[in-house]
Parts: sequence; structure tokens; C-alpha cells
Amino acid sequence: MARDAVLTAVALTIFVLELQLPDLIPVPGVKAGLSNIVTLITLYLMGPWDALAVLTARILLGSVFSGNASALIYSLAGSLVAFPVTLLMKKIVTERQVWVASVFAAIAHNAGQMGAAILVTATPSLAVYLPVLTVSGVIAGLFTGLAAQACLPGLSKILRDQ
Amino acid sequence: MVKTRTWAAVIGCILLLAGAAAVWLWLRPAPGHVAEIYSDGALRYTVDLDRVREPRRLTVEGPRGVNVILIEPGRIRVESADCPDQVCVNAGWLSDSASPIVCLPHRLVIRLTGGAGPDTTAG
Repeated sequence: MARDAVLTAVALTIFVLELQLPDLIPVPGVKAGLSNIVTLITLYLMGPWDALAVLTARILLGSVFSGNASALIYSLAGSLVAFPVTLLMKKIVTERQVWVASVFAAIAHNAGQMGAAILVTATPSLAVYLPVLTVSGVIAGLFTGLAAQACLPGLSKILRDQ
Repeated sequence: MVKTRTWAAVIGCILLLAGAAAVWLWLRPAPGHVAEIYSDGALRYTVDLDRVREPRRLTVEGPRGVNVILIEPGRIRVESADCPDQVCVNAGWLSDSASPIVCLPHRLVIRLTGGAGPDTTAG
């Protein structure tokens, strides 16, 4: 529980820092998602329940800290799709392929987010952004995945069951 | 175990396909120059951009905030908004693209369609 809280604090810090970065392209939903480095580390070293707890806490608190409460529904929808995909991919890939799971998770996240946006705005034509969001998902997922993978060996001594 | 090289190839293919689709969709011209402004899922205004003579502003008040839309002959943009992410403002002018301007926080969408509908905006 204490470790979950620390991980959530780390994830939130990364989330808030990322908010300060300027948008690279003005397409809704394009984001690096750096705080998911923490989600992946939690999943790999502490298990799915801890990861779900840290992820949910970060999303809820992040929407408070960012002052962007209306983004909450899109983050939740994205994570709702991405989390099961990540669990599934974790079973398929090796510990040297965490970035692969991360890429598919990011693609799934962006698709789920887009689905929510289409429902909320009742505008099916938003789907034109799906390819851009897939490209951004691959890049973002690759980066967060590689970062998490690089951190895992060092952190496993600290985080894995004590 | 699937080899890393195989995964890289699969992801590379996804990237290429999505990239090509993105570029194609981005460059695809709009079916027409009639701007439709949706707020909260409902069509609020229709503006034929070809019939705009004078620049004018349109303030769209949604349930979550305000977007000020600037309409000029042949083009339309969100000039300012009190949304947190400003994606709609940064999207810039929409004049000939089929990709809509979106303000997700305010549930506002501006897209171009074909056909000359009646200009329903009040001056």
C-alpha cells in the first residue's frame, strides 16, 4: 500500500510535468503518456491489482491537478481499453519485450479515447484522427515502454515483494 | 516466444499503414466549404464560407465553456477558448481539409461539408 502511494506520487509528478510540455501537433488525444512508465513498472514488479490502483488514482488525481476535469472521461475510456490489452500482452511478450506490450497498450488507449470522444461529441467523423493517433500511440508507447524496461532491473530489488 | 524482430516488423507495418492513412486523410480535401459547428453533439450553426464577405466572430457557449470562433472569407478557426488544452485554438485555420477542428473539453466540433446550406448564423 505504501509502495502504491509512492508510485502514484511519482506517476502524478511525471503527469503534471508532462502537462507543461507544449503540444507537438494540435490533434486531440496526442500525448506522450510518460506517467505510464510508472503504470508498467507497477504492473511488472507488483502485479495487476497494484497497477490498476496506481493507474486509477493517478487518473483521478491528475484530472484534479490539471484542472481539466472534462478530460477525465477520455483518459478513463482509454485506460479501460488499454489495461486489459497490457495484461494480455504481458503474458505473450518476454521481459526484454516490454516495449512491445507498451506499444499495443498505447494504440489501444488512443482507440478507446477516440471511441469515447465519438460517443460524447456524437461526431463519427472524429474517426479521421484514428490513424494519426495510432502513429502517435506507437511512438509514445515505444518510448514509455523502453523507459519502463530500462528501469525494471534496477527497481526490482526495491519494489518486488519485501 | 515471438522473436523481437517479428514484433518490430509487426509494429513497423502498423506504423507504416497508419502513417499512410493519416497522410491520406490529412491531405484529403473537404467535400465543400460549408462549415458546420457542433456543440455537445448537436448542430448549432452552419456557415457557407464561400459567402462570407466580412470577418466576423461567433461565440459558442457550450455547457462547459466558451469558444470564440473567427469566420473569414473561405476559412474558419477557433480564435480563443477557455478550455484547458487549447488544442482547438492551436489547430489554426480550417479552409480546405476534411479533418475537423475539435475542442474535446467543450465538446465542440467544426467540420467542413459539401452543399450550400442556408447561412443560419446571425450577423
